[in-house]
Amino acid sequence: MDKVSDESKGNICEYLTFRLDREEYGIDILKVQEIRGYEPPTRIANAPSFIKGVVNLRGTIVPIVDMRLKFNCANAQYDAFTVVIILNLHQRIVGIVVDSVSDVMGLIPDQMRGAPDIESIIDSDSIIGLGSLGERMLILLDIEKLMSGLDMGLVAEA
Amino acid sequence: MAEAHHESSGSSADFDLSQFYQIFFEEAGENLDLMEQMLLSLNLETADDEELNGIFRCAHSVKGGAATFGFSDVAELTHQMESLLDKLRRHELNPNASMVDVLLESADASRGLLACHQSGNAGQGPATANLVSRIRSLVAGETPPVVAVTPPEAPMAAPVVEPLAAPQSLPAAAPITIDGPRHLEIRFTKLDQPHQADAIVELFRDIPGLGEIKPITSKSGAADTRVFEVQTSSTNEDLLDLFAFHVSREHVTIADMSASGPHEGVQEPVGADALAMTASSAAAAQGFGFFDGAPGSPQSQVPELVPNAAPVVDVSVTKVVQSVAKSPAVSNAQPEAATIRVAISKVDQLINLVGELVITQAMLAQNSRALDPAVYQQLLTGLTDLDRNTRDLQESVMSIRMIPMSIVFSRFPRMLRDLASKLGKKVDFVTQGEATELDKGLVEKITDPLTHLVRNSCDHGIESPQDRIRAGKPETGTITLSASHQGGSIVIEVRDDGKGMSRQKILTKARERGLDVSDQMSDAEVWQLIFAPGFSTADVVTDVSGRGVGMDVVKRNIASLNGTVEIESSEGYGMKVSVRLPLTLAIMDGMSVGVGNEVYILPLSSVVESFQVKSDAVSTVGQGAQLVKVRDEYMPVIELEKVFQVPRYDSDKTSDIMVVIEADSSRVVLLVDELLGQQQVVVKNLESNYRKVPNVSGATILGDGKVALILDTGALVRRSRH
Repeated sequence: MDKVSDESKGNICEYLTFRLDREEYGIDILKVQEIRGYEPPTRIANAPSFIKGVVNLRGTIVPIVDMRLKFNCANAQYDAFTVVIILNLHQRIVGIVVDSVSDVMGLIPDQMRGAPDIESIIDSDSIIGLGSLGERMLILLDIEKLMSGLDMGLVAEA
Repeated sequence: MAEAHHESSGSSADFDLSQFYQIFFEEAGENLDLMEQMLLSLNLETADDEELNGIFRCAHSVKGGAATFGFSDVAELTHQMESLLDKLRRHELNPNASMVDVLLESADASRGLLACHQSGNAGQGPATANLVSRIRSLVAGETPPVVAVTPPEAPMAAPVVEPLAAPQSLPAAAPITIDGPRHLEIRFTKLDQPHQADAIVELFRDIPGLGEIKPITSKSGAADTRVFEVQTSSTNEDLLDLFAFHVSREHVTIADMSASGPHEGVQEPVGADALAMTASSAAAAQGFGFFDGAPGSPQSQVPELVPNAAPVVDVSVTKVVQSVAKSPAVSNAQPEAATIRVAISKVDQLINLVGELVITQAMLAQNSRALDPAVYQQLLTGLTDLDRNTRDLQESVMSIRMIPMSIVFSRFPRMLRDLASKLGKKVDFVTQGEATELDKGLVEKITDPLTHLVRNSCDHGIESPQDRIRAGKPETGTITLSASHQGGSIVIEVRDDGKGMSRQKILTKARERGLDVSDQMSDAEVWQLIFAPGFSTADVVTDVSGRGVGMDVVKRNIASLNGTVEIESSEGYGMKVSVRLPLTLAIMDGMSVGVGNEVYILPLSSVVESFQVKSDAVSTVGQGAQLVKVRDEYMPVIELEKVFQVPRYDSDKTSDIMVVIEADSSRVVLLVDELLGQQQVVVKNLESNYRKVPNVSGATILGDGKVALILDTGALVRRSRH
């Protein structure tokens, strides 16, 4: 919510950018708690395939979502470079697996484009817009909305 | 805390409530602070129900606690406050500034009374009769009496007892004490607002036994002076104390009319000339200044000043000396703060950090195993010490949070006894499962709801002895409080064999209150209605219950712990309220079992036995339900591999170890690959960051830092039934 007001004021929003296959995504840096290497989680029975399981994050049990499986990327390998971004959303902590983290970028409103109406696996409500940086296109995600969606299976149906 | 508890349980005949006093004082202090904050931020025009309910709940909690511990003066005052707040939240009255004033003053007075009880000086607290009467008149909808201009320090003055240096060296001027009724003339001079003195008349009306008062028209007729003729047996001392609520001491002069003529030699015993007057008022001002505890009211000045003033024999100085002389004893009696209240989050953080430390230590131990002991002797010795120290540390940190339920349970026998005798009922109190350990955070939060439930059982549940005999029941009712671990939760039950709840009565009440109900509702739904705010089926509102605030609070408190409340009731036979709390941070003895490459934890309490079987020992029924015969008993078999869809990489290996578990008083057999060992595990909540997982009650962290899921044996047993 506060992002909207920031944009209207013309402030720079900072995004953490990461790669999934050949696509580049950006999420609000303030939602990111930390970045870690991938360690095999404890599998949870009957969970969707993109929920890899849970890990121990300094005493807290944190679910791990593989975004590559969620977004149907062709290959999802786990190697020394696979990265987990730990997000802090609404007092809940969630880890997402991505291919790599690129950098943190400040975007001014001029660089942001509205998301075109397209058919995609990502619910269009979860896309804030597209960031245009020269040749690069950044898909800006509303990670909070995306993660709290029922299809993520992270929250029980109320 | 633990030691105190053991001592008290040793001498179980006489419960020592004093171990809970400190908790009560702390809780009450917090509640009063909270109430003050809410009162201060209350917007009179737009006060919403939530705010008023919040303030009401504070008063209610303080009252409940005070009544439990037998502090009747606090209970009485807060009961009056509650009555007023109740009217406010029912919109029978509109809040106004004078109500807020009187409530704030009452809160101060309650605090003062509590401080007196805490220091063991009952009866020395601020007088509350006036406040009580003011609240009563507000409740009755009258305009407030014009006494709002109370000196702010007055209610606080008496309770705040500060230790003073060298009080014994003070010349102790004897207080003026005269027995029997006396005839006095009391003169109030130099009043800013002469009507303040009128409140004195009310004071005499409100306090029984104080005496009689009659206004006398002053000879001088000055506008700022009031004179009264008083018949009383109280000492000047006491009178001045009382008046201090309305009029400062320096404005008061007391003369004995029986000794001298009614209008002559007026100020004889009190300090007649102007000089004495100034000195005494200065002394009085000093006295109040330091009692107020304000910085810049130097304590050392009092001893200096008192000798000067003492010859004048001023009543107010006497008062100061008296209090001062008392204070050393008081401060000795005040218990040292043996406990520290620490935010639970800090303890949690500590526990998590220690957990990490243990894991790091295990890793070091693992990696150092290959080292040659001859070469690395010192390092290895150090690691052994580290191992022992981390374990000790972990144990100590864990024990911070865990306390047995008996701490909570032992609060109740006394409370029930008092309550039962007050209500003219006979009640036996039975507790079960006192040794069940519960997280400290949970204990603190479960105490209030349980108190409400037990009070409710006694007040509404258990019938009077006559009614019980008429109903063919034993004269003495029984209230049972039990705690147990069940299916990955802690279940606390309050049972009584009283009259139960009347479905019809609840439905009727609900309709009266405009709730949406129908006769088709199931019993369980009907019982849930009693959790609606303000719902009460009691015919009479007593200070015990009946305002309908209890169950609302119970539900709210338990819901905030992610718990549930279930009610079973049978009219005429009694009712049972079960509070089910998740194991947020309970420690559990667990048995780790291996299935494929995965590890699961079984609560050891539900494991009955385990044995190895050949695969042909399992017989099937119908389309594949499996049964195994264990000592002449056929039990359903659950293959964990199938339930949890464990991937198999090594197809030769099969599960051939059976573990018999028992839950909900039925048994099933779990099929696992291997038994890995027993250990204490810290139960972590999966739902805080994820969601409920079927057949899993929680998770824990193993020695190697991996997460293992804890099986919900109750759910597994239920699964086998379907």
